[in-house]
Amino acid sequence: MIARKTFREVWLMTLVYALMMVILQVPVILMWPELYDDLKKSALLRNAGFDFLQRIGAGVTDHQETIAYRNWIAVMLFLRSVNLLGIAASVLLGTALFARERETQTLEFLLTRPVSRGAVLWQKSWPVILCVVCPIFVVNTSAILWSWQIEMDLPLAPLTLANLHGSLFVLAILAMTTFVSVKCRVQAHVAFWVGGIVVLQLGLYLIPRVRRFSLFRLSDFDWYGPILAGNIGLPEMFVPGIGPAHSLWLLLATLVFYGLAWRALRNLEL
Amino acid sequence: MGFQVSDAPVLDLIAVQKHFGAVQVLRGIDLRVERGEFLGLVAPNGAGKSTLLRLLIGMHRRTSGQCSVFALDPDQSSLAIRSRTSYLPGETSVYQQMTGASFLQFAQSFHRGRDAAIERRLVELFALPLQARVRSYSAGMKQKLAILAALSVEVELYLLDEPDRALDATMRMELRQVLRDLHDAGKTLVLSSHHLEELQALATRLQFLRSGTLVPDAEVERTRTQLQRRFRLRLARDLPLPAGATILRREGDGTLLLEVGDSPAAWLHTLPPDAVRAAELGNARLEDLYEVLFLQQPAARTGAAP
Repeated sequence: MIARKTFREVWLMTLVYALMMVILQVPVILMWPELYDDLKKSALLRNAGFDFLQRIGAGVTDHQETIAYRNWIAVMLFLRSVNLLGIAASVLLGTALFARERETQTLEFLLTRPVSRGAVLWQKSWPVILCVVCPIFVVNTSAILWSWQIEMDLPLAPLTLANLHGSLFVLAILAMTTFVSVKCRVQAHVAFWVGGIVVLQLGLYLIPRVRRFSLFRLSDFDWYGPILAGNIGLPEMFVPGIGPAHSLWLLLATLVFYGLAWRALRNLEL
Repeated sequence: MGFQVSDAPVLDLIAVQKHFGAVQVLRGIDLRVERGEFLGLVAPNGAGKSTLLRLLIGMHRRTSGQCSVFALDPDQSSLAIRSRTSYLPGETSVYQQMTGASFLQFAQSFHRGRDAAIERRLVELFALPLQARVRSYSAGMKQKLAILAALSVEVELYLLDEPDRALDATMRMELRQVLRDLHDAGKTLVLSSHHLEELQALATRLQFLRSGTLVPDAEVERTRTQLQRRFRLRLARDLPLPAGATILRREGDGTLLLEVGDSPAAWLHTLPPDAVRAAELGNARLEDLYEVLFLQQPAARTGAAP
């Protein structure tokens, strides 16, 4: 019943989030042929002030159009849609999970029912996890169909791996938001803390000397590009030593934050 | 082998203390409630009654002391306790975005059974628009929905934290009858309320919670005895009062609350019959008990709850 209630609360936001992903995705795919010509002529990205923008510029203007197109997908579907819309959805949906219940004084009702706090956390979390992750897989995978419209090929396997990684990235943010939502009494405070952390991480990413401390280092063009090019597979994503294992760290971060959220909820005294 | 009802008390608390950081809210509660009892909890705001009720269902963990509900420790077995208990929080706790019917169904879904008769009766009594969203309800309607959800589940123990808040007098009287029927059906009830007349009318036993401690029965009895020396008197005209009588209060309708050293009965008999409009002797009202126990005690003014 708690899961069903949670679904009822978030389905509309999920629909809007998925629609926004579609709206952002379709034009940049269908306009690719003209964009590719324009990008090749433009020196804007290649001369940009940030090193990562220069690499993106080089990537999306590669002389092999297939490679350039996959880099374009990495930028548009993952660097933009997943990193921006996915984070926004995670923060918006995660913020409400517990802090709103505290604001509306319904958390006491929920926590005094004959159901464990672990079950409350689980039944509130898994619908939101599905709502955040499913649009990433569904909308991004539909890019294969749109690519056929412009006679470009987008292979399913690398795209699925990129979706998996993108999902783990937003799940880590969702888990962190859930933890903060348990700790804070007011939704605005959750948004302040999580928003502050995300902005700080983004700021760190823009400074090359401290970029390695940024969470966005795990989810940038330098990571999605090679995945979509087929140069990074599951072993490199999850096994330290074989590859950077960025996906493993995100998975572990997600589990740690859910563990912290569970502990905070278990010890919560309203 | 037949079903056996345990003889163990439903609630058994020994020297229970609860701190929130440096603030001590419960200061050694000793309380025993037997099966089928109707306990009224009398306390001013901030005395710790909500904390006490939350502690019984494992919402709060006690700092020290022993506590058992159905012979189970709420800190260890709160799920088992909650499956046999219905708790109505002190703050109205209903989901605004749900309809009344869906909230009711949601609340009942956590328990194994529902009391259809009580549900029908309360639905009829409260006349709530159950198909409308709760956000369109008034404060009183939300409280009625919360009461409906709390009382319509089939459990053994009801912990009700100010259920009559935001209810008008008619509804309070109707609710009183429903609670009485639950008690008659053998349920155990713990009721906290600021409406002293409700507690007086319903509870089989009263406990007074003052600054985190229950007022000892001996002190309550002593106060009752002391209060029996008081009497209420409404005279038709001014007359000399008996020697040693003190006027404690003069009420709006002219009634005097007097305290006398000896029984006032002899003095009353000396008065002409038409001089006395009303007289009430030897009846320690709960409001008087409340006044003496809480308002005339310095400790009562230093509320303990955060």
